[in-house]
Amino acid sequence: MPQTTIYVAPRLAGTHENPPPAVRAVDLARLFGRSPALAGVSVTVEMGRMVALVGPNGAGKTTLLRILATALRPSFGALHIDGVDALRRPEIVRTRVAYLPHATGHYDDLSAEENLRFAATMLGWGATEAGPVVRDALDEVGLTPVARDRVRSFSAGMRKRLALARLLVARPSLVLLDEPHASLDGDGMALVDRLLERWHEVGITVIVASHQSERVARLADATLRLDGGLVAELSGSGIQADLSWPSASGAPVPAGVDR
Amino acid sequence: MSVLRRGAATALAIARKDALSELRGRQASGSTLFFAALVLLLFGFALGPDSRRLTEAAPGLLWLAIVFGGLLTVARLHQLEVEDGAMEQLALYPVDRRAIYAGKALAGAVAMLALGAVLLPVVAILYAIPIGSAWLPLITTVALGAVGFAAVGTAYAGLTVRMRAREVMLPLLMLPIVAPLLLAAVKATTVALNGDPFGELGAWLQLLAAFDIVMLVAGAGTYGFLLED
Repeated sequence: MPQTTIYVAPRLAGTHENPPPAVRAVDLARLFGRSPALAGVSVTVEMGRMVALVGPNGAGKTTLLRILATALRPSFGALHIDGVDALRRPEIVRTRVAYLPHATGHYDDLSAEENLRFAATMLGWGATEAGPVVRDALDEVGLTPVARDRVRSFSAGMRKRLALARLLVARPSLVLLDEPHASLDGDGMALVDRLLERWHEVGITVIVASHQSERVARLADATLRLDGGLVAELSGSGIQADLSWPSASGAPVPAGVDR
Repeated sequence: MSVLRRGAATALAIARKDALSELRGRQASGSTLFFAALVLLLFGFALGPDSRRLTEAAPGLLWLAIVFGGLLTVARLHQLEVEDGAMEQLALYPVDRRAIYAGKALAGAVAMLALGAVLLPVVAILYAIPIGSAWLPLITTVALGAVGFAAVGTAYAGLTVRMRAREVMLPLLMLPIVAPLLLAAVKATTVALNGDPFGELGAWLQLLAAFDIVMLVAGAGTYGFLLED
């Protein structure tokens, strides 16, 4: 079984003695038009923990992950990643977060290797370093035999594997995964589980949203259940969340939220 | 790696990626070229067989064909990013947004320069214009025009790429902005073809260069906001 190196973001200056939480979100809310996808989530995740994010369709899992990844700005609330204000300094947060979204984000007319080399360059790897890093990542996800094939010919599962390889090329302190098991066969699902374990082992914080809740909860330190854009339930260790609502901070109540 | 080197590496990686996609998606680039050539041919039919009139109109027709082809090119370079959610991924890379803009604009400028280089001889043949002695000022004009058009087009394609009516919105928003460029490029082309009898070519080329610089600076400054959701 290939074992590629897991690269980890270095600790930020001044955080060795007393590390800040990996995620500190206060009253995060996001409206799309007038309807709230996220209605005021306050959650703190300690560094190095793995959290399973579960909930029914429309619970706000993807919206929360996109906000944590800085792909989406919240309508209200505050967010710190590794102690960095993600709303004011997203460019710093992006050096520390690796995100696997629903859409895999590949270029169809490039090969798997070219897609990954492009990602490696964008993630700061020099030309000479990128080669072995890309080869190892492709090997880890089992795409070496098709490395030179264009992504246009790939199945959904192969695209997902390539997206996982892109996470291996990153140097994160926080990994966010949105339905990583979707589209994958048995081997692919085992690959995801193996990667989750390895990220956890090296101290990377992992938040994984999945409908395979039992599978993910088995690996995770904690489970956070969202429903209707709010935290509905919390279990496990290394995470705190505000289940009272409206929260004590007095944040504005998004229109349309009723609880 | 210094900030400048990192920015250059980012821009070149994006331009290379776009160029590879463009070259491999031959149907798209081929149809753009065919469309631009067809524009030249149809305008030729519309103006009739009067060779003097065709010669006089040739610089304007050349630039109209380049503009129409360029619109398709810059739109397609951004369409690549929308397919499979690549735009979000691009926005999340920890790189300077100005470098992303520079890469996309570079890819657009190279594609448009190639389009112009192909259309120049097409115009010469269709409208019987001798361009032999004027090739250097003509290529310079096309290069400066391509950079300016790509500078504006990249910013506006970034703005419209997520819109439903992007095919309509891109030309609607962009064409008024590139009107000064079109004017200067047509004038420079006319002067170059006439042998620059009054020595005014330099002024038109300077105007084009100034337009390019202003639009590149404005585009680089605003493009980052367009990537935000």
